[in-house]
Amino acid sequence: MWKGARVMSFLAPAAAVLALTLPAIIALYFLKIRRPTRVVPALHLWPSQVRDRQANVPWQRLRPSWLLFLQLLAAAALVAAAVQPVLPAGASLARHSIVLLDASASMQATDVAPSRLGEAKRQVNAVIDQLGPQDRMTVIAVGPSPRIVASVTGDRDTLHRAVNGITASNGPADLSAALALAVGLVRVGDDARAYLFSDGIVQPLRASFSAGLPFPVEYHRVGVSGENAGLTSLTVRTSAQTRAAYLHVQNFGQQPRSVSVEWRADNHLLDVRPLTLAAGQGQDLVLPVPANATSVTARLASSDIFALDDVATAVARTPRAFRVLVVTPGNVFLEQALRLRTDLQVDVLAPAAYRASAAYAMTVFDRFAPATLPDGPSLIIDPPAGSALAGGPPVGIGRVRAADAGDPLLANVDLQDVHVARGEDLRSSTFGRPLIGSLQTPLVLVRDEPFRQVLIGFDLHESDLPLRIAFPILMQNLSEWMLPPSVPSHSFHPDEPVTIVPEPGATSVSVIQPDGNRRSLATGSIATFADTDPTGLYTVEQVIAGTVERSWFSVNLFSDVISQLKPPERLTLPPTRTTAVQATHHGQLEIWPWIALAALGVVVAEWLAFHRGI
Amino acid sequence: MGPLLEPALLRRLEALALQVRRAVSGQMGGERRSRRRGQSVEFADFRNYTPGDDFRLIDWNAYARLDRFMLRLFVAEEELPLSLFVDLSGSMDWGKPNKAETARRLAGAIAYVALAALDRVRLTVFAEGETSGGAPSRGRRAAAPLFSRLQSFPSGGVTNYEKLVWPIGRQRPGMTVLITDGLGDSPIDPALTALQRAQQEGAVLQLLAPQELAPDWSGDARLKDAETGVEREFTATPLTQGSYLRALAERTDEIERAAHRRGLRFARLSTAEPVDEMVQITLHRIGLLV
Repeated sequence: MWKGARVMSFLAPAAAVLALTLPAIIALYFLKIRRPTRVVPALHLWPSQVRDRQANVPWQRLRPSWLLFLQLLAAAALVAAAVQPVLPAGASLARHSIVLLDASASMQATDVAPSRLGEAKRQVNAVIDQLGPQDRMTVIAVGPSPRIVASVTGDRDTLHRAVNGITASNGPADLSAALALAVGLVRVGDDARAYLFSDGIVQPLRASFSAGLPFPVEYHRVGVSGENAGLTSLTVRTSAQTRAAYLHVQNFGQQPRSVSVEWRADNHLLDVRPLTLAAGQGQDLVLPVPANATSVTARLASSDIFALDDVATAVARTPRAFRVLVVTPGNVFLEQALRLRTDLQVDVLAPAAYRASAAYAMTVFDRFAPATLPDGPSLIIDPPAGSALAGGPPVGIGRVRAADAGDPLLANVDLQDVHVARGEDLRSSTFGRPLIGSLQTPLVLVRDEPFRQVLIGFDLHESDLPLRIAFPILMQNLSEWMLPPSVPSHSFHPDEPVTIVPEPGATSVSVIQPDGNRRSLATGSIATFADTDPTGLYTVEQVIAGTVERSWFSVNLFSDVISQLKPPERLTLPPTRTTAVQATHHGQLEIWPWIALAALGVVVAEWLAFHRGI
Repeated sequence: MGPLLEPALLRRLEALALQVRRAVSGQMGGERRSRRRGQSVEFADFRNYTPGDDFRLIDWNAYARLDRFMLRLFVAEEELPLSLFVDLSGSMDWGKPNKAETARRLAGAIAYVALAALDRVRLTVFAEGETSGGAPSRGRRAAAPLFSRLQSFPSGGVTNYEKLVWPIGRQRPGMTVLITDGLGDSPIDPALTALQRAQQEGAVLQLLAPQELAPDWSGDARLKDAETGVEREFTATPLTQGSYLRALAERTDEIERAAHRRGLRFARLSTAEPVDEMVQITLHRIGLLV
């Protein structure tokens, strides 16, 4: 792949005319110097030293001289540099080279010096140096959000700067998105070729690429070792009596490894536990969590090739509870399903006693509809006929089905054995988009505006849904969608967006990153915080009526795929769709800077030789 | 042609005197202590009277005490024979200020110091052709003719120190001052050896031009020897300049060592230095003048 015939070519052959300086130098040496006569008192004191160095007349016989030799050598070297000779380099380059440089978390591994990313940059820089004058290159940094850092340019300085400016993220490598970017840059008929410099630890390719790409992709593997131990899980569980943290330590390498786990709460060291892990072995640890701790941190105190998974942080505080009002004549299924969420405080009220109240974060109306819906998330189940949200006359239903099986609100919800006896005819409802439907009518509608609200068009008692496992899962999905935890307390992966719901009355919301940087968020609506690349503990500060409310979430790698680190020998890449013959050519290695440097050295040698009287 | 030495310089020179380390024997009376006994106010010794002695010298007080005739002897004061050998060869006719011209003035100044002290001065110039001597001069009135002679001698020719051996050898014991650049191709040793044998107390004054001590040119040149006229092509570089300066330093060191070995004073003078300063500072420093 990187081999080729070594035939030198020249980028500026016209500069060879400068070779005329060589005979000119020789001609100068043919000329005899006219010397002025100087009378000296004692000639015998002066050393015998004669050297011609000026052009004069008349002609004299050419005398061998080191100076002449060095001057000819310097001139020849300068002429050689001026014609810009190039050697065919090893790389097979297309006219448009697309470099996909993996800048994901696993590229931080230091099994090759200085790191996998550093080694990949070195290789890419070497390819850049081989670009010919007609060649163009695009550089795409492949991280969780691939980005083009240099677009279709032949300027080597720009390319070097772009490559050297790439830093590794803590997220995964989304190769599919990177390839999609590359495809967008290549026009039909372009002579393009992509080069993937990666350790092969990338997210699985999307199926849409199975049709092939309009250019071939070469995989250049970086990295050699998978000898790594990491922390892959840390959760804090609260029971009635105690709180404890569950930590999983995994040895991904082929060699046994002795490590010690430092256990800290709010940076105070609580415990150090030595562990010996066999090859591929994992171990679970149960660690104590102090009652007043905000966060707990586990750290592997042994240096390995990958530092990112050696630290894990978890939030120890329990999340703040939401108040939920359920207005119902009586529905045990509904109450039980809602109470499964530990951060919900459920109040049940008969319809007759209902008064609009701003104290509740979410309201559930079961077989009851108020005159006006409260400003906030609401779940309306089987609104009575005559109300504004009521549908048409009841119709017989039967089996139900998902409107969109891929909808995240139906994640893990199995509707196979769910039946509904009858339900309102919601075909003409303008409430929102259907989530669950039937042959006859939509059954569950959801909408985002003005608030996240759900309309269920049948009485739960007229269905076997509450008896199925799908019911609590559906209620969990719907309630979490409508009422996400103010700040989710579980761990996120790097670069994963975090939804933050400002508390009612919050006048400012800001997020403090692990490195101390503060980012302000909008207070009016649900905010998505996506700047979660650094791992560690994030603090969310909300100012409510002059007091600062703090909550926390953590970002950890927690990825077995990344932590195993071993670069795959082969990477399955999409096939090449084009049938056109790829007109690749060898890269060019310009050697004129070295020749010019040699010329400079010869000039210095000539100067020294002259002054030392050689 | 102007005067060799300015009247003001001459007046200053009258305050100086040649310094001899040992007593000398001149032919005529002078102001120098002689090895002979003579008439002066300085007592030297007693000796027994022998017939024929000047009875005016009998110490009658000693006769009264010892009952013997004793003669009182006094130190004789005689003239100092000073020989000046001035190199006016081709190599001396070089430099700015000119070495030969400076040598004439320096010789004139030393001669005037001697003449003013009633010493006898013999001037010898060695240059082209035969060595030119002259009759000894004595007394201030002899200064003007001596200066004229100095100025009338042309410079040129090849330095040959061996030509000095015979004129030096016939000197009576006294003082000899040799003024030369010491750059001749011939060795200076025979002349210095002759000085030692002739019991000369003296000095070698090496006179060089500033352009010799620090060459002010570089590059290509055709070098021509000032004495022999031999030419040679040459390219001056910092390296060759250094080589020349080393050769010059070796040559002058060699002359200095040879002079000191024979009990002679030595001074290296630059023509950039005024004659006034040469006489009053440098020659005073080496003990030639007081």
